[in-house]
Amino acid sequence: MRLLEGYHPIAGTHDELFAPDGTIRPAFVSAASGLSRRTAAEYARSQSLAERALLNQGVTFSVFKNKEGVEKIFPFCLLPRIIDAGSWAVLERGLTQRLLALSAFLDDVYGDQRILAEGLIPRDLVLGAHHYIPFLRGVKPPGGVRIHISGIDLIRDPEGTFRVLEDNLRTPSGVSYVLENRVVSKRVMPRAFDAAGVQRVDHYPARLAETLRSVAPEAAIDATVVLLTPGPFNSAYFEHSFLARTMGIELVQAPDLYVDDDRVWLRTTRGRRPVHVIYRRTDEAFLDPEVFREDSLIGVPGLMRAYAKGNVAIANAPGNGVADDKAIYAFVPEMVRFYLSEEPILQQVPTWLCLRDDDRAYVLEHMDELVIKAVDEAGGYGMLMGPQSTAAERVDFAARIRSEPRRYVAQRRIELSTCPTWDRASASVVPRRVDLRPYLLFGTAGPWVLPGGLTRVALVEGSYVVNSSQGGGSKDTWVLKP
Amino acid sequence: MISRVADHCFWLGRYLERAESTARLLQVTESLAVEGDLLPLQCWQPVLITEDEEGSFIRLRSAEALADGEAVQEFLCFNPQVHASLLCSIGAARENARSIRETISLEAWESINELHLWMQSPAARASFDEERYGFYRHIRREVQLCLGLLRGTMLQDLPLDFIWLGVVLERTGQTSRILDVHHHAFTIASEAGEPVGSAAPAVVHLSHWLSLLRACYGFEPFMKTHHGPVTGQAVARFLLFEQRFPRSVRHCLRRARETLARIRPASSGLPVLLSFQRLVVAEAWLEVLASGPFEYASLHEILTRVIDESQGACNEISLELLGAPPVQATPEPPAAAPLSGQSQSQTQMSSQTK
Repeated sequence: MRLLEGYHPIAGTHDELFAPDGTIRPAFVSAASGLSRRTAAEYARSQSLAERALLNQGVTFSVFKNKEGVEKIFPFCLLPRIIDAGSWAVLERGLTQRLLALSAFLDDVYGDQRILAEGLIPRDLVLGAHHYIPFLRGVKPPGGVRIHISGIDLIRDPEGTFRVLEDNLRTPSGVSYVLENRVVSKRVMPRAFDAAGVQRVDHYPARLAETLRSVAPEAAIDATVVLLTPGPFNSAYFEHSFLARTMGIELVQAPDLYVDDDRVWLRTTRGRRPVHVIYRRTDEAFLDPEVFREDSLIGVPGLMRAYAKGNVAIANAPGNGVADDKAIYAFVPEMVRFYLSEEPILQQVPTWLCLRDDDRAYVLEHMDELVIKAVDEAGGYGMLMGPQSTAAERVDFAARIRSEPRRYVAQRRIELSTCPTWDRASASVVPRRVDLRPYLLFGTAGPWVLPGGLTRVALVEGSYVVNSSQGGGSKDTWVLKP
Repeated sequence: MISRVADHCFWLGRYLERAESTARLLQVTESLAVEGDLLPLQCWQPVLITEDEEGSFIRLRSAEALADGEAVQEFLCFNPQVHASLLCSIGAARENARSIRETISLEAWESINELHLWMQSPAARASFDEERYGFYRHIRREVQLCLGLLRGTMLQDLPLDFIWLGVVLERTGQTSRILDVHHHAFTIASEAGEPVGSAAPAVVHLSHWLSLLRACYGFEPFMKTHHGPVTGQAVARFLLFEQRFPRSVRHCLRRARETLARIRPASSGLPVLLSFQRLVVAEAWLEVLASGPFEYASLHEILTRVIDESQGACNEISLELLGAPPVQATPEPPAAAPLSGQSQSQTQMSSQTK
């Protein structure tokens, strides 16, 4: 039996590969030809080769349970998610537009605050946001860039429309899986890959290095760029070392750095070496104990002083969290209109802000229909999936909302699109829900979108949660050449 | 040390290095080809030119098949008539090793013998058919294992010096040829406008230079030493001049010169080797080039001279140390492999770049 025979899309859900009538969408017939020719048995063999390759390469992440770290492979489904060139071109424009608007918003919030003066976004919502850092008002980042690296999560509704689910403007992770998934896909099914005509992603590290060097405060050719990691216990440590290795830069931990005379230095066997750009993969609360947590011993004391003096670039800029806050999210379309005088190209998900009395009343009455999220949590934590929740969970969440309304937003649950996915138990291909995280780089030359991205898939039947920490897996994303 | 034994050591090193390099080049090219940014011909013809087998390929297969990646890989992996094929290189390495089993360590002998037997077994064929990447990886690893065992288990003495002399001189030629041929192919591709595919020219070029680096194991070392945009010029400079990179031309020539100095120390009272003098001159020339501004346009000329000099050094080593009789005219390439011993020296490193 051929691999894709007998596949049935779920009714009322957009399927990435199949039309509702059960045939492969016309745009993908030729791209998927290499896949559909295979038998299930042949495919199973390739799938296990791919898993072994990822394990051997050490492409793993750590999950902490009961204080004990476990190293796991990010589950990988070899069946790719395919996006045609036309749809991608629209996404690319929409993502670039959104990034420019968010970037202008951050410049404004840490500058003149025109958008607040105009009353387009409630002043308290912005200035009271957990991640707003008043200390940084008036500080211009080196190179004028704040969102060097971003990952903007997209989902696809039953009509097939891409919608932004959330923006990640602090330390988005996952790009190493995009690159490693690609390496493995090419390796175990070169013919199918070749036949599809896929845009390449392997130049990402070189582009990232260029992006980081472009914002160096001094002449870029001599700039020292480092990647700051919390260390081997961090769940994304594999990615940190992967990026440092492929960019040829030093992977440093906070104790390797110190500040003297408002400059950042790296301790080396040949004495101190100046540092010009820090790609930080640490939470900003742990960047500088002088500013963020006086009780903390973690971080580089004085780092923010050096940054405020313009002596070091930090990517992403501290303070970005105010723009990817889940309540601020509701205002991004306004930002696009206000800063760019354009209509937003990308749709997003209608959102209720519990801060507003009317919205809160509606949310509290419809908890069993809505997805409720804490504005400052990520990774699938701090959220209530209304339709799957228990009465006790709802009572608990209602109390939380009443005590801290600013912290909660609610959205209608969107029927995420599905993608044909390998199910080991039944040795067949089944529909599973996916999202998409494209990655954008933004240096002094402007924004650039990696043609591809991380497709995360909820491997459990009926599940909507794609996070790696909660049983999600990933797929290679094939953006076809025009 | 007996010249004949030295000759086998030298060729053992060269064939091992050659097999590893060929496997690597095929693996990287396969990966480049499936991206589809270059026409198949643009991917595979340079491989045959690098291996000096374009003529034999056209003769034994056809000119049309130059664009057929499967045909080229089959040819360079298993064809027993093709001198540069993996089957023949590994067979020749093993034949040289067998002739001097008493000289090399048992562990090293077993590793090359095992690889040779595997190449002739159905398992190799099945691996080639079903998991191409794994096939190349297996060969590269086994050769690296053998090279590591030679260094890790043998006396640090003349036999090992001759093996290593073969390795570094072969490496000089391989790095130069890969760089020259790819530089040439990329130049043609950019002159012909963008080949196929849609990616911006800059992306395609960047990706090509990165795959060239991967073909020489140079990707990560390059990224560590080079801080700036990845350009053809920067990649060429790195592969030619970076002394700390074990596959750069300059590093390999220096290692060859140092090895020759150990083989015939100044204190020996014997005449200075012509091959040694040639390498001293070549190194000085590279040093001058490295310190000045780099004319990218002259890359082909520079590489041609590198290839000629290392070829010259190999010929002189044959005459001065390995007991080869003086050559009157260029002999015909031998018809079949595996080969061992002196007759090979004339055919291996001839300049073949366009």
